[in-house]
Amino acid sequence: MRIPVQINESSAEPLYHQIETQLRSLIVTGQIAEGTLLPSIREFSADLKCSVITIRRVYQDLENEGLLRTRQGTGTFVTKVDTDDREAYKKQIVQDAVRELIDTARSVGYTPDELRLLLDETLREEERR
Amino acid sequence: MEKAALEWRNVVKKRDRMELGPVDLKLYENYVTALIGRNGSGKSTLMKLAVQLIHPDKGEVVWFGERYPNGLPAEVRAKIAYVPENYIAEENGLKMDDAAKFRAFWYPGWDWQRYEELLHRFEVPGDKKLNKLSKGQRRKFEIAAALAAKPKLLLLDEPSSGLDPFAWKTMMNEIRRCVDEDGATVLLSTHIVEEVRRMADYLILVDKGRSLGMAEKDSLLERCREIWISRDDELLDELPGVIESAIESSGMVRFVTLDYAGAAALLDEAGVKPIRVRALELDEVMEHWMNGSIPTA
Repeated sequence: MRIPVQINESSAEPLYHQIETQLRSLIVTGQIAEGTLLPSIREFSADLKCSVITIRRVYQDLENEGLLRTRQGTGTFVTKVDTDDREAYKKQIVQDAVRELIDTARSVGYTPDELRLLLDETLREEERR
Repeated sequence: MEKAALEWRNVVKKRDRMELGPVDLKLYENYVTALIGRNGSGKSTLMKLAVQLIHPDKGEVVWFGERYPNGLPAEVRAKIAYVPENYIAEENGLKMDDAAKFRAFWYPGWDWQRYEELLHRFEVPGDKKLNKLSKGQRRKFEIAAALAAKPKLLLLDEPSSGLDPFAWKTMMNEIRRCVDEDGATVLLSTHIVEEVRRMADYLILVDKGRSLGMAEKDSLLERCREIWISRDDELLDELPGVIESAIESSGMVRFVTLDYAGAAALLDEAGVKPIRVRALELDEVMEHWMNGSIPTA
């Protein structure tokens, strides 16, 4: 399988962290189902044009979190994710995006009130569509 | 610590046009290391030393933890496959399949099925004589034969020269398989940036016969960025790792940093959002590495 991870080279976030965050969210949201066999470390690294050292670190971290399990000789699988965890992760993802939004607003001098106003306005527009 | 499949320890070798060394390098087991550098920098000499086609004037080469000053024993040689830049003339009059039989004799792990399959995928007919092959076909035969030998150490001296894009892709996949399934260690000399990006875990840079060290590819590339920000001379002075900068307009400055994590942290602290951030291409990184801006151990 080919995993849809998008590397952002202009991000200051380390490469392994970008991959880890995106793979985690694919697993937690169920887009990569429980029991799925992930590509081998070398396949995945070739796909993303990074080194196996980076991918090994990602797999190891997610294994430590209990999201992945490696079986000797067969490969790395996605394990079961709790419903509670899934909800918490979803919240986390949106919260991160909101933080990003706040940073952008702050960098152009928006006050919190102005941002709230704009957010409400945009939400109403979206609802009307 | 990772185990080394091959080591060059304090190796010095005088050649016609250059002197290599002293060089201290190693290849970590089960990784792909790309050997990069200009023409005539000593890449092929390092490879030839690794198969004892030539012997060091000083220092020693170590294979899988052992040294063999009196010649590589057949069972060690059988673990090593080498695709040279220029081929050995003795085999020229042989048909491909006969040359393959000769090699199969030396490599106990020889896999005929893999050999046939690769020639088929490369679309090279096995009954042709080696000296009747085009440059690309000869290259394909050599690669097929090297992979069929199921080596533990695979040395490839500019393997992609003369290959069409389809054969190139097959070769890349097969090398990967060899590392993944057979646990091989690969040394790949190349000028092709895409090859390094797709294949390499470690990089070794040589220049004028000297080694400029070894680096882990991702952490090296991750450090180097070109950044545009609103002009702020005071801030620019403080940014770490800046090796070049230019004022692009009265209100904008561009700089290259070799410490992106440090620079990004400082920019963030100062509340400055970059206008643009660009990752350097491998050849640009190589240039900075060659002129001494990037120290690697």
